[in-house]
Amino acid sequence: MILETQQLTYQYASGKTLCFPDIQLYAGEKILIVGPSGSGKSTCLNLLSGVLPSQEGTIVLNGQNYTTQTRQQLDQLRADHIGIIFQSLNLIPYLSGFENVALSLQFSQQRRANVSDINISINQLAEGLGLTSDILTKQPKAMSIGQQQRIAVIRAMLGKPALILADEPTSALDPVATEQFTTELIRSIDPAEQAVIVVSHNPALIPLFDRVVQIGAKV
Amino acid sequence: MISLAFASMRARLFPIVLVILALTSSMALLLAVDRIKVATQNGFNQSLSGVDLVLGPRGSGIELMLYTVFHLGKPTNNITTETLKDIAQNPKIEWAVPIALGDSHRGYRVIATSSEYFERIKFAGDQSLQFTEGTAFQELKDVVIGSAVADALGYAVGTLMFVTHGSGSLGELHDDFAFQVTGVLAPTGTPTDQAIFVTLEGYELIHLGWSNGTQAISLKNIDVQKIPTERLYPQTITAAYLGLSSKLGLFQVARFINEYSEEAVSAIIPGVALTELWSIVGSVDSVFRLLNWLIIGISIIAMMTMTMTALESRTREMTILRALGATPLHLSSIILAEIVLISSFSVLLAVGLVRLLTWVSVDVLSEWAGIRIELIWITTHELFTLGVIVLAGLVASLIPAGMVYQRSLHRGFAS
Repeated sequence: MILETQQLTYQYASGKTLCFPDIQLYAGEKILIVGPSGSGKSTCLNLLSGVLPSQEGTIVLNGQNYTTQTRQQLDQLRADHIGIIFQSLNLIPYLSGFENVALSLQFSQQRRANVSDINISINQLAEGLGLTSDILTKQPKAMSIGQQQRIAVIRAMLGKPALILADEPTSALDPVATEQFTTELIRSIDPAEQAVIVVSHNPALIPLFDRVVQIGAKV
Repeated sequence: MISLAFASMRARLFPIVLVILALTSSMALLLAVDRIKVATQNGFNQSLSGVDLVLGPRGSGIELMLYTVFHLGKPTNNITTETLKDIAQNPKIEWAVPIALGDSHRGYRVIATSSEYFERIKFAGDQSLQFTEGTAFQELKDVVIGSAVADALGYAVGTLMFVTHGSGSLGELHDDFAFQVTGVLAPTGTPTDQAIFVTLEGYELIHLGWSNGTQAISLKNIDVQKIPTERLYPQTITAAYLGLSSKLGLFQVARFINEYSEEAVSAIIPGVALTELWSIVGSVDSVFRLLNWLIIGISIIAMMTMTMTALESRTREMTILRALGATPLHLSSIILAEIVLISSFSVLLAVGLVRLLTWVSVDVLSEWAGIRIELIWITTHELFTLGVIVLAGLVASLIPAGMVYQRSLHRGFAS
């Protein structure tokens, strides 16, 4: 099992409390988390990535329980085992596509070890997503939104982290591009070692996933 | 981290260049003022070398120093040559060079002395006075001029000149006796460059027939060659430079002079008096230093402000790095690395700029102001000062770095 959450809740400073359904995620699985605005989709993502400390409940990633980890260990866990894609503005504007992708290896020795030749690995991933190598030399401002999102996917995938978390990755794309991008994202995963969780409010994506997890607010 | 900080800085080049310029210019100003101060102080302390004691009328030591070394102010009293002869007989005194002051020429102070002056008086440690042209005195009418006088007035060996009675421009001209330049001194960077030297006898000669500041008898009607030389040796002088056979007797001879009962005279030790004088003059330098440190403080605040205002626009960059596994400490260290790069680059530029300015102005400052600046890259003291500035910048950068740390701890990706 790659990820397991149990009785995960989160209380905001305002007193509002969110309860999240339990998740069990195995290699090769694709889960779509859906919910209305304010339902806590982003909070769920922050908890799963270890950026926000879990207050109640447990999260276990690749056998490592978040509650027993220090903040620094959680950051390292994220660097080693999680690839994250945001809804937009995924790239650092002053770095080229290639430099943005290579940045994913900066903080993880484990992911670096999984990459024998960075140029070959990046070009292979780019090819799989239909990107030509010249796009990688460009800065984000010279790319389309779709190209930027694909670069973000390459960055998340490089070094083969176990869990890919994507937060509304298609919100800036049109419906055709949305389906194409999501299909490419799912296809990029190694079903033997990786799994993906996509957070979205777009019901059109449901058929592309193995399971759907509905989250909502509870006061 | 450094390469990331460098890339981030490259993306914000314009504001960063402005901050670097502000820091560089303030640091260069601090270094330049410090170098000028050190050079001035060295020049000041080396204005008079080779002299163990200055003998003069009893009174303020600083005043005596001002008119005997810096040719400033008016001597109030004289001492008799009889007293000088008597004191000079002290076995510990090896030589005595008398000087008489009072007259001037086109704003430059005239110093009457003996030709021994040019052998005994040193500058900048143990450097002897050199002639770029001509020689020392031979005759009554001979005059030696400092390098600045020669440059300013365009005088050379052979030039005839008259001396004005008194040090002001309104004094009466001694137009009954013309002096002739026989020697031009090489630049020394000391008040000597601004002085005109005549023989004691020549000085006495032009004052023959003068009473209470006015001329009663003109030399035009007198054959000066017929005046016996001993008659022309002055009865009084303003002061005398003394050299001792051994430095060990310095305080003993000074006490002997200060306790001399026949006439109210005193002796000052030039080194001590110069230090006292510098403590008064040098306080101006403290004001400059304070101003410079204020400018540096403002530049550091500007650097800090720039970093803090950029934080908002860099939220996305920080979020991406956090998502990739960067710890809050990593993000803070990027901010610190940027500040270190900015400060270090500014330090290098400032050192280079000061070196360039020194190289360009070394001759001009030496000739124009008599300030001799050493052509060096950096001194230990300067290195320490710049280190303090970089450290201050680092301490100041802890504020934005701390802000980044706190934000990344408490904010999730969606923020």
